[in-house]
Amino acid sequence: MDKETSPSSQVSKTIWRIFFILLAMGFLFVVYPYIKTVFFMIIISWLLAMIVNPLVDYLESKGLNRALAIVIVIFIILGCIVGLMALVVPAVMSAIDSLTTKLQTNLIKDLTVQLEQTFEKNFNNAALARDLISKGEQLGGEMLVGIGQFLKNAGAYVAFIGIVPFLTFFMIKDKRLFKRMLISQVPNRYFELFLNVLQKVGNQVSKYIQGQAIDALIVGLLSVIGLFIINLVFDHPVPFSFFIGMLAGIANLIPYLGPIVGAVPAIALTVLNNPGNVGTVIVWIAVVFILVQIIDNNVISPLVVSKSVNMHPITVVIAVVIGGNIGGMIGMLFAVPVWGIIKVTLKEVSWGLRSYKLR
Amino acid sequence: MKNPIWENIVYRKKSELSDTMQVLAKVPIFADLDEKEIVEIEKIVHRRKYKKGEPIFRMGDPGLGMYIIVEGSVEIVEELDNEERKHLADLGNGSFFGDLALLDESPRSASAIAKVDCDIIGFFRPDLVDLLYRKPQQGIKILWALARIIGERLRRTNEQLTNLQREVKVRKNG
Repeated sequence: MDKETSPSSQVSKTIWRIFFILLAMGFLFVVYPYIKTVFFMIIISWLLAMIVNPLVDYLESKGLNRALAIVIVIFIILGCIVGLMALVVPAVMSAIDSLTTKLQTNLIKDLTVQLEQTFEKNFNNAALARDLISKGEQLGGEMLVGIGQFLKNAGAYVAFIGIVPFLTFFMIKDKRLFKRMLISQVPNRYFELFLNVLQKVGNQVSKYIQGQAIDALIVGLLSVIGLFIINLVFDHPVPFSFFIGMLAGIANLIPYLGPIVGAVPAIALTVLNNPGNVGTVIVWIAVVFILVQIIDNNVISPLVVSKSVNMHPITVVIAVVIGGNIGGMIGMLFAVPVWGIIKVTLKEVSWGLRSYKLR
Repeated sequence: MKNPIWENIVYRKKSELSDTMQVLAKVPIFADLDEKEIVEIEKIVHRRKYKKGEPIFRMGDPGLGMYIIVEGSVEIVEELDNEERKHLADLGNGSFFGDLALLDESPRSASAIAKVDCDIIGFFRPDLVDLLYRKPQQGIKILWALARIIGERLRRTNEQLTNLQREVKVRKNG
């Protein structure tokens, strides 16, 4: 029998492979804290590459050089991000300052008096109201300081903004090269199966992520328009309507919980802004977010989000909770796409194993 | 005098590239493409080595794309129910097979087995579809050539069918 194909040689090859995989996993586990940032950058660049790839393909189909097409698309996106940051960050910073002052002055005093009266009347315990207010004040102050610190550290993200487009450029430009390098390592036996499954998973995942990005953008714009109309009608009760609207769009990526996460800042900031007709404004904000959800669920989402990653609501909630436990808000944002990728991969691998005669 | 270090790194790599391109340029499916377009194809094909007796694809597998033999020999066989193989054809250097799989995922109608150690180029449907989006003119040239090849095969099949029908008729009439 040929030595290379003897069963004992196959077994020892498999053992060595498993050993190297375990070694690589152990190595990754040890170095993860040091490469965490790079890893995060690669994930963001990969997502960005998937989102903008169709646009690059379109420009290339019109005769533009691929590298030039990528540069144009990345510059447009960077321009939008930098422009938005230049508009939003200073406004949010000054607003946080003014809100902090407000929190420490009139609003808190008014709320304390009102709550004390209510608690005195209903529970005969005014001290509890004072305690609650002081806890709330402390929490609100910490949150605002946190947001302020995050925005003040924006300079530290410049490196991030510089490296991500660089990685994205090469991920789009050399996509086929990376794919070929990966596939060249696959044994002949699994070659067609691997190529086919990789292609199917890639297609479905990129369609899903592109759909989610478009959905988030449209939901964000609709929320901005809704809040803009409220501001026109009620004499500007909602501060940073653009920022809140776009935040609602991003939060919408978290199924079921997203719309609430989007509406809460709008209502909270309106309450803190304390306009005359606060009750009516809050009702209208709720109406805007409910309307946006109805439009999203019935029109936008069915049109733009791929059905290949359809998930049961229970699965979605479990994935979001696990994601939240692992990585907080970012974990919640990524939970469903990551679970979607796992689901599609398992489905396609199972199809491949059933369809191909593995010799 | 040849430099043994640089000859191995630069010269051989260049010759390997041109080797793939030369083979591709001779395949009828790429006959309408110019040199620049052949370079694009060279970037998306997969070059692989198969050992003697190793299957390239098996009958019944989902079709994924076509293969071009750079060097070696491939046997096309039909796999029968009793685990026997019926020989259909032998293909040599420059031949291509499995081209119908560029159009859809229908199961392979036969198996392809390497008769000797082979050097083979694979060109697959997902890459053709991607090329059609990115460079439609180039993709259309390939599809046009593929349609010509399939049309030619259909014409030959029709001729054979007509001849067979004629033969059957003659035999019936005695």
